Amino acid sequence: MDKDKERRKRLASLPFSEKLKILEKLRDRDRAIAASGLRKTKVRAPIDKSV
Amino acid sequence: MKAKLEMINGMLNDGVIGKYAIAGAVGATFYLEPLATADVDIFVMLPTAPGSSLLTLGPIYDCLRARGCQAEGERIVVGTWPVQFRPAHSALKQEALTQAVETEVEGVRTWVLGAEHLAAIALQAGRAKDHARILQFLEQDAVDADKLIRILARHELLAKWETFKRKYL
Repeated sequence: MDKDKERRKRLASLPFSEKLKILEKLRDRDRAIAASGLRKTKVRAPIDKSV
Repeated sequence: MKAKLEMINGMLNDGVIGKYAIAGAVGATFYLEPLATADVDIFVMLPTAPGSSLLTLGPIYDCLRARGCQAEGERIVVGTWPVQFRPAHSALKQEALTQAVETEVEGVRTWVLGAEHLAAIALQAGRAKDHARILQFLEQDAVDADKLIRILARHELLAKWETFKRKYL
């Protein structure tokens, strides 16, 4: 948890221009995932009625 | 992002728009770690046409389309980013815009809403993702608590703030 906090703090302290480059990468990754159709199918575990 | 901001600054210089500032997740990223988002929200003051009190986003879209940008529903794609221009119609948003922070992105001058105003606007919007963003501002000490409370009081959001605190803090 501390490591995560530290990572977020480090990212927050980056210059805005650097953060925007990361944002663009996040956005492109999101678009790629959306285009692959991975988000279209929600797979739910079947309900186990025997329990 | 640089090309996009240059284009928006061009509209500012040409009087197509009044003051503008980056809001939403991209605005919050100015203060926090980068927050994934699909588009850029821009709060904007719109000049009224002479003899009219009607505010319209039409001139912005016409101007950007003339520069080769494509409309995508309510948004318009400027460079590689879909951008949503939002008129600052409420008192809170107008205040946020007038007090926006000036900064530079890759040498281009631009403005970003203040952290406390972003948090107040998120509280006013009240969706789950807005609440999550407020928590991020608080966890990372990115807001001045006194300043935030003063803004919330001015815009009658203290009751909403109490509800938020009871639920999440």
